[in-house]
Amino acid sequence: MPRIERVAEVSWEGNVARGAGALTAASSGAFSGLPYSLASRIGSPEGRTSPEELLAAAQGGCFTMSLATELSQAGTPPERLDVRVVVVMDEVAGEGHRVVSSHLAVRGRVPGIDAAGFARATEAADAGCPLSALVRASATVTVEQTLEAG
Amino acid sequence: MATERRAEVTWQGSLMEGAGTIDRVGSGAFGPLEVTWASRAEDPAGRTSPEELIAAAHASCFSMALSHALAQAGSAPQRLSTSATVTFVPGTGITAIALDVVGRVPGLDEAGFREAAEGAKNGCPVSKALAGVPEITIAARLEGE
Repeated sequence: MPRIERVAEVSWEGNVARGAGALTAASSGAFSGLPYSLASRIGSPEGRTSPEELLAAAQGGCFTMSLATELSQAGTPPERLDVRVVVVMDEVAGEGHRVVSSHLAVRGRVPGIDAAGFARATEAADAGCPLSALVRASATVTVEQTLEAG
Repeated sequence: MATERRAEVTWQGSLMEGAGTIDRVGSGAFGPLEVTWASRAEDPAGRTSPEELIAAAHASCFSMALSHALAQAGSAPQRLSTSATVTFVPGTGITAIALDVVGRVPGLDEAGFREAAEGAKNGCPVSKALAGVPEITIAARLEGE
């Protein structure tokens, strides 16, 4: 199997409370110079991304690809999947800040499948998405699914 | 206090022939961003991927934790430049993350900087969330004034 590398770069200036960082998708160039700070990470985002938001986006991307695979292998490739991921970070006594949960809400438009089949594919995708498995080792990962009428 | 962060992703079609979009994130900081299997597993061709987003999440989390640790030790950084390289093996998942940080930190020696970097690598929330990655490494060095 090929080894695939993806790189991101961050510059940070100053201390954590008053400093600020900028982050760049170095492999693809898909985004660059995105600002972030402590205030926008733990308080109101004010238009700035954060490590936890990037984790939510990564997990959403990974999960949709896993679910597309499961549905295609079952002979029912999806017309459309919509996934909304909410990652929660909280302060845990004695451990500082931790990612405590990640919730995925999935809506699918999938010709030729019934609700039970869609639920099975969603479960398989949850088990098969490597990022969900990683996050689940230390946080609660939950998935809810809705099959839209064709 | 708990902090929620949100992302919304759409996918159309099969894995190999279909394509996805990271439509929006709660902050509005980026999106829509396209994702495809080809750009994830082969040449990115200008498209991000889950692994690149993980690299961005980890590098940004680590840098913040390191700046905090340095400031608490009495030597706040002027500047930290961090890269994270995520290695992905299809069918297996993320097998390694290599963090590399160069710091400009007045009043701190190399050993002190490396020790603080090791602590930030172990302690930042994203590191804890990704603790199952088989190999997470850190290389840290100071740059001259």
